[in-house]
Amino acid sequence: MTSVQTKTELTEEYKNVKYILTSSMRTKLLLAVYESSKNLEDLRTELKKPSATILHGLKELENINLVKKTQKYYELTSNGFLLTTNMIKLIENWFSINKNKKFWNDHDLSDIPEDMLKSMYLLKEAEYENSTTSDLSNAFNKYIKLLSKSTELKIILPIYSENHFKHIIELLNESKVKNLELLVNDKILSSIKSNDDLNKNLMKNKKVKVKCSENNLKLFLTCSDNFMSLSLFFKDGLYDDSQILIGKDKNAMKWALNLFKFFSD
Amino acid sequence: MNIHNEINSDIKFLAKSEIRLKILSELYDRPNSIHGLVKRTNINYSSVSSNISKLEQNNHIRKIKHKYHINPMTKIYFKTLIDFKNTVDIINDYNEFWDKHNLDQLSIDSIKNITDLKESTLVETTPIDIYKTHNTIKNELLQSMSIKAIFPYLHPDYPQIIESVLENNGKIELVIPKSIYSAIITQIDMKLRRESSKNGRLKIYPVNNDLKIYLTICDGSMSLGLFKNDDSFDQNRILVSNDEKSHKWAENLFKAIKEDVMK
Repeated sequence: MTSVQTKTELTEEYKNVKYILTSSMRTKLLLAVYESSKNLEDLRTELKKPSATILHGLKELENINLVKKTQKYYELTSNGFLLTTNMIKLIENWFSINKNKKFWNDHDLSDIPEDMLKSMYLLKEAEYENSTTSDLSNAFNKYIKLLSKSTELKIILPIYSENHFKHIIELLNESKVKNLELLVNDKILSSIKSNDDLNKNLMKNKKVKVKCSENNLKLFLTCSDNFMSLSLFFKDGLYDDSQILIGKDKNAMKWALNLFKFFSD
Repeated sequence: MNIHNEINSDIKFLAKSEIRLKILSELYDRPNSIHGLVKRTNINYSSVSSNISKLEQNNHIRKIKHKYHINPMTKIYFKTLIDFKNTVDIINDYNEFWDKHNLDQLSIDSIKNITDLKESTLVETTPIDIYKTHNTIKNELLQSMSIKAIFPYLHPDYPQIIESVLENNGKIELVIPKSIYSAIITQIDMKLRRESSKNGRLKIYPVNNDLKIYLTICDGSMSLGLFKNDDSFDQNRILVSNDEKSHKWAENLFKAIKEDVMK
């Protein structure tokens, strides 16, 4: 038998989360009054439920100090505002993960720090591109096209790819890219150094800052002034050049920059 | 209502059962067998086993050689769910601090990252120490070489604190209401003030907007104070913390408020 004490402890630990998240009525009411304060009539129209059901839900939320009533209008309390803002974050986190589920599910995510996993909602506008049997380099071509419109670049580069280097150097030489920060591991760094062409155009280029990371990072991240992109490794340790996650909005770029800073600082 | 503004059924499935959450939190840390889970959690065998099957059926865990492993995707889902739980805990743990207080100037980002404050301490005044909150902050400020602060009101100690930090070659950045600007600067030694402003060690941003938040960031600590809903400053409570996460949280909030009130 599970002891009474264990049961009580468990119930206590998850009580609030369970109470909020398992009732559609309560969560819908919180979301409805998050937008603006509303009266019973507004809520009845919006949620399409009878008054009794809505009033019952509101009473429950008033009892735990998440909602208050001021002159016939229901609004969130301070606590309710903190909680609902974070409930929306939770919903958006799940939405964002599910939207690109195949991309996340196919790859090794062990190098993505926990704090970044908690803010997946920032990637809700991002989409992933696939290479297909009829267009094997779709992902790469999309990437190069975006790269050519960038002026500032921060890249975590976990692979030694002459093809990528060729395009980056071209952009530097045409003065399209003004600043490039490159984070690589020691193996890739020594490969760059031992190639005359790369050594000259990257290591000795004033526009380029190359940093060596102790970690053997399994992520290819690009933060540009107008997009972010991420490609990952398969779970068997091989790099996947066929899928790339691309985000062009402010939030996605913020997520990528945080990730870059996490490893470069 | 927006389609993705609803709690999805997977969240509900996980949140519905404390036992499932407990099992997942164990498997999040390390794979385990049913027997191992029974031992670790004190939950009885039949409950563990029936919930294990449900989790397996819903593709959250998988059995590899007698041990159950959490699926990588569920790991992420679970992480975000626990983050929400931690948020709820922080709201409840510091209930007195948030409840009936004005949160308008907390940025949405800072609210979404509120779990960064989980190592904070709520400092409250007591009948025998009614200046506890002020004195706690004052000590931190005086020992600091670098200060960033939002002062929504003028305390008579501030000019001396500023002077003392500048005399020690410290650096200060302040956001204050325009209404207290002259009262503060006229009380700071003029020569010291001019020199410090000139070499960038003293930056004061007077703003027109009302400031409804109190924030200090010192070398190793941060403190946060709020206004009550009746518009009076709550002098009786502050949240203080000296860990890195809170420090960073406060830095981001300072930046967001500065940008917001100065635009």
